[in-house]
Amino acid sequence: MDNTQKIKQFIVDEFMPDVAVDELDSDFDLLTGGVVDSLGLLQVVAWLETEFDVAVDESELGPESFRTVAAINDYIENAKGSTANA
Amino acid sequence: MITASLPDRFSDLFATQSDVAALVWQGERLSYGELGELVARFDRALSGLDLPSDRPVGIRAKKSPQAIALIISCLRAGHAFLLPSVELAPETLDQLFAQADVSLVVSPQESGALASYEPPRSGEVHWPPPAPEDVSFMLTTSGSTGLPKIVPLETQAIDRFTDWAAGQFEITPGKAVLNYAPLNFDLCLLDIWCTLKHGATVVLVDQDRATNGAYLADLIAGNGVAVVQAVPMLFRLLIDEAKAGGRTFPEVEFAMTTGDKIPSTTLKELPGILPNARFFNIYGCTETNDSLVAELDLSDGPPANVPIGQPIPGVIARIEDADGNPVEGEGQGELIVWTPFQTKGYLKAELNEGKLVSVDEGDGPRPYFRTGDIVQRAPDGTISIIGRADFYVKVRGVRVSTQVVEQAIQEHPDVIECAVVAAPDPLAGARLHACVRKGPDSKLNSLVLRKHCSERLARTEMPSTVEIVTAPLPKTSTGKVDRNRIGPHQKGAEASG
Repeated sequence: MDNTQKIKQFIVDEFMPDVAVDELDSDFDLLTGGVVDSLGLLQVVAWLETEFDVAVDESELGPESFRTVAAINDYIENAKGSTANA
Repeated sequence: MITASLPDRFSDLFATQSDVAALVWQGERLSYGELGELVARFDRALSGLDLPSDRPVGIRAKKSPQAIALIISCLRAGHAFLLPSVELAPETLDQLFAQADVSLVVSPQESGALASYEPPRSGEVHWPPPAPEDVSFMLTTSGSTGLPKIVPLETQAIDRFTDWAAGQFEITPGKAVLNYAPLNFDLCLLDIWCTLKHGATVVLVDQDRATNGAYLADLIAGNGVAVVQAVPMLFRLLIDEAKAGGRTFPEVEFAMTTGDKIPSTTLKELPGILPNARFFNIYGCTETNDSLVAELDLSDGPPANVPIGQPIPGVIARIEDADGNPVEGEGQGELIVWTPFQTKGYLKAELNEGKLVSVDEGDGPRPYFRTGDIVQRAPDGTISIIGRADFYVKVRGVRVSTQVVEQAIQEHPDVIECAVVAAPDPLAGARLHACVRKGPDSKLNSLVLRKHCSERLARTEMPSTVEIVTAPLPKTSTGKVDRNRIGPHQKGAEASG
């Protein structure tokens, strides 16, 4: 299932409430754009863990995995996949 | 070269130059002889007041020949005097007079008589203050917050300054020099006091007509003014007036801008109206007087960033990085200066803390003033201002200038005004918050603005929160954005279009 829309909704609600969800492109660089900083990243991770029931390994908490909405979506897909295989 | 001190110069000038114009005021010329007669009247009025010699006097006066004569009278009698802005609220004036422990506040009357009153005493400062000797002028800083600070200046410091200025700008007997600044401004040490010391003519701008371009143009052209020192606004007014009337001012030899950054649009048009002038940008403050000067070559248009130039001979300009280490050669940091014209310190000694620092450059310790300006020194030694130290904040350990962030935001065409402040953050120390006012029909939102900024700013310079509004930002009484009233108190931002 594609969670892109859900992720966009969360990012917009949390960090850019003046922006329409459709305006946020999946490949917009959230870090360079200053939308999500290192503290914001913790918020994103906490949300991912409760919303998608995935455990985020702290060693994987590199900013690269969360740079764009598309990257976050990939991360969820992979995390769910590995949980299913375990 | 004049070797006599300012207070001692006048007897000679009144006698030997009695027919030369000393002042031009409201269409009248007052010769040195006539000025001497006016001074003599104030000499008598002052001696009639039996002023104690060990305490200063307060002078409450707008610019006029009478006010200038009264100051000369105080100088000659050896009275230190506090000359604050008459625009200040009466309570503020009394606080200043009390702090300086003045015995009496005097105001000159047209007749040559004096009105006077005894101000309250505060006991904050006991006259004479410990450090300065031979104080004459006491000026005040133009501090935007709190009580202005009192800056006592020694006669010798003023003598060194007025002799430098006369040589630099060729102020000699017979030259006409415009005085645009109000009487209490440090700029008058050049326009009025250097001019009179050197037997030249001061053309006084009436404060009530200081924004009237036609009046200013007539004053300059009608009196053959050769030297003009003023804030950038005067030059803008002259340009607008000159364009409307198709006139130029060929008699002006020296044009000096000071006090504020001059817009390049103004600089671009200056050579057109002042065809025979040399142009200078002067940098200084009340505490140090003029410290750096740049001669501007405008023949190929204005420079992209107008420099403040090089230290005046005798001035030491030091640049310190964030850790207080000197920056040698090319580089940037806070400008710290020592000048031969500077005060020994504020009248209230505790105010010197953090502002006046002792630095030893190898020839013994000297008191330097922290200017609070962050500057860049080019390989050839030319110094330019890049921002105020007050605007530097630490975000996650990195020094960031909120001014740089504001400039980047301001470059977006939909932005009318903006302010960037550091909001305290328990984890990061500080985070940047931007409040941005957009045009009424603009579709600007935080995402568009972030895309715009990410092309211009480093990651650490990106605001954490962006608030977009359509109402004007809160302003201070002087019309500047009041950053104390801006902060991330409202979560999120206003919905846009």
